[in-house]
Amino acid sequence: MADSDTSTDAHKLNVYQELLSPSELFEARSRSHKIPVRGQKDFLPDGSEKQTARLQQSLDEHWTLLAEERVERLGNLVKAVWIPEETLVELQSPAGKFWQTMGFSERGKQYLHPEEALYLMECGNVQVFYRDLPLSIQEGYERFLSCESVTLHQYQVFGHLKRLGYVVNRFEPSSVPSTYERQLNLPASSRDKQKKQLKRKRSQSPVSSEKQNTSPVEKTTAEDQSDELVKNSESPAATDLPPQEPMQSAEASDRTWWIEGDVQPPPAQAQSTAPRWDFSSISFPDLGSRRSRSVCLASPDRSLLPGALEVGDCDVTPWLSRLNVKQEKLSRRDRERQRERDRYRRDVNSDREVRRCRNWAEYLQLLEERRRRRQKDRPAHLWEREVTPLTQPGQCASHRELLDQISIVKSSSLSEGVSRLSPSDQWKISFDVYQPDTVAEFKKSHPGKPYSRMCVCSFDGPVPDLHAMKQLSFQSGDVPVTFAVVDHGDISFYCFKDFKLPTDVY
Amino acid sequence: MDGDPAEMNVSQSSSSMEVKEDVDTRSDSENQAAGDALVDINFCGSTPMLWKVSDMKKCRSVGVIGALVGSLARQPRQNVRLGRPLELLQEEALLLVETGSAAASLHTQDCGDEEMHSEAVWQYEAGLESSYKEQCALALEDKKTVLRRIINEKENGTDDSGNAIRDRLNALDQAFCFPLSAMAVQLCTARAGFSHCPEERSFLSTDWPVPRDERLNTRFCVYRDLRSKGFYLTSAGKFGGDFLVYPGDPLRFHAHFIALCISMDEELPLCDILSIARLGSNVKKTVLLCSPQSRNETGKDESVEGDVVYSSLQWSSMV
Repeated sequence: MADSDTSTDAHKLNVYQELLSPSELFEARSRSHKIPVRGQKDFLPDGSEKQTARLQQSLDEHWTLLAEERVERLGNLVKAVWIPEETLVELQSPAGKFWQTMGFSERGKQYLHPEEALYLMECGNVQVFYRDLPLSIQEGYERFLSCESVTLHQYQVFGHLKRLGYVVNRFEPSSVPSTYERQLNLPASSRDKQKKQLKRKRSQSPVSSEKQNTSPVEKTTAEDQSDELVKNSESPAATDLPPQEPMQSAEASDRTWWIEGDVQPPPAQAQSTAPRWDFSSISFPDLGSRRSRSVCLASPDRSLLPGALEVGDCDVTPWLSRLNVKQEKLSRRDRERQRERDRYRRDVNSDREVRRCRNWAEYLQLLEERRRRRQKDRPAHLWEREVTPLTQPGQCASHRELLDQISIVKSSSLSEGVSRLSPSDQWKISFDVYQPDTVAEFKKSHPGKPYSRMCVCSFDGPVPDLHAMKQLSFQSGDVPVTFAVVDHGDISFYCFKDFKLPTDVY
Repeated sequence: MDGDPAEMNVSQSSSSMEVKEDVDTRSDSENQAAGDALVDINFCGSTPMLWKVSDMKKCRSVGVIGALVGSLARQPRQNVRLGRPLELLQEEALLLVETGSAAASLHTQDCGDEEMHSEAVWQYEAGLESSYKEQCALALEDKKTVLRRIINEKENGTDDSGNAIRDRLNALDQAFCFPLSAMAVQLCTARAGFSHCPEERSFLSTDWPVPRDERLNTRFCVYRDLRSKGFYLTSAGKFGGDFLVYPGDPLRFHAHFIALCISMDEELPLCDILSIARLGSNVKKTVLLCSPQSRNETGKDESVEGDVVYSSLQWSSMV
């Protein structure tokens, strides 16, 4: 009993110390908003009076600043309510200026994410209630920040960037356009519609490849189909196989209504049959090139024609007249450009030996002979042993080709082999960051491409390895990823830049 | 000290009984002066934090500095000077709990007692009402003072506008209005007394949210030893080390050392030593390699006794 008494007494003491009286609240209107500048530091404590006095003064200033409580006009505060089941804060009075870059609307109500609400509480813009009582900043930290919603480190990075003026949003992996989408350069409207659709299903896990197989069959309108195809191409960490499957199944399902009997998938059929013509014995006449003189085709072999059909010689002149065999007249600039391009290019057709070939098989034979001839020229002591040279003179036309040939380790780019990587749960992108000078035109529905994406980690944890870096940069698309390392309140930012070693000398 | 919450905590972890003797007697007297109230360490996840200014003052007087990580109330939209909460290093929190100066508690549960909760809500709303009335009266008085001052100034002059103002002053008691939206309200930083459940649960040191692995024990030994020698320590992640060691309060002095905590049998690659030495010379601080010596024979994880061995790195020239 005694213990509980002393504890409540102790709390009463605390209440008196940190709660402001109405007169203090009233006086707070005319508080200074300036922060005193800190002076130069000393090197060694020498026990002098001057030093002790200066230290005491710094400390007093320090405590005064820290002890100051936030006092705001009730009319300036936006009232909000904390909903722990959804880990969201719902606004109950109209939002202020912060609504331009923070928060979202759903089902007619305005919401804030927990990190946004906590930041606004710290700025003194929003007062959040829970069960009819206002939450203190401490309660905000303890209730809003958890492993499931936003961790303390992530909030510290969020707050740091917001205080500098950046616009910081949560990262949605599905909102990153894939390379295919970027190639298509889709109009913004279809992207936003998708985003809205995805937002409503916020709590669900990302669409798996199994679901994608069934949905194309259900959608009927053209617009929806295009959406689906785009959604299919966006699936994170997708290998080449899944996107093809839904399309194949779509084809199969489309076909069933007019093909009766067994439906065999067409690609399989094509692969199993062997080519039926022997191209080595068939010669194709060359009618198109300028050098050909034959304007008359001989009649084909009687055995190839059906029945008792007889065909005479074919005069191709009227056909040729329909073709545009005029020589192209290039402008001077085009001619110069062509001359530059063809400076080191040798036309295959000007080679006499190539012209003597009548078909592809003969041409390939010629190439093989040439290769063998080249090999015969090679010195035996170099080429006949176990260890052979990587290249020989005359084989490469440029430095890049040469370096490619002699390289033992092939150079790779950061995006190579990403689709084969398994997703990691240790490294995740937390936020999209937009620059402060875009705040004036910033639109929540249309944020555009972020300046950078943040991945939050700490010095206690591991350094990101190549696996993590590849994955994160793939997830991020063409936006650079910055690592925000939190060390006991201090935040450092690091990023890794792709660097290509020069391979050509120009 | 009997029947005191402080005593309750000390008796639960017997090892800290011995340590208490070694602690600064100054902190004991300070505690007694403050009514034997313990410092409240609240965990946000696994990070220990202090929210009350009185707690922060107490800790600083025993040499625990911490790092401020919140927005400053006076100017929340800048990063130069931050405000509450004060984040503590794991080692700092451990030291405070082991010396009996602090009680650590987890995030409090929601108060299940409906009656106590509605009582709290009623108290809050009544508080708002009385605050509003008082502020109304203060605002009225303030306005009257302003008008009186103007009248005095006008009386020194020669025009008649003083009369109009006097009329206004007299009518003020009826005509004055102080809307609710103009009332000043406090947004509490620390959990206030009348908020949710006042009971805090303190727990034994075995319930520490972060596991007491070898690394934490090594760091803690070094921290405790340097602290007992009178140095002030803060985190040094950006300097590639474990702690920054200051000869005096970090507010006024520069750090002299970067402490790197390594256990005696840990192997450190030569390139790591070279890189930390380079770093130290670049920032003009001496690098200290710190290793706690022998462990207790009883096999306890926290070595109660045992010296810490310090080695400093210095580039030397061979001429």
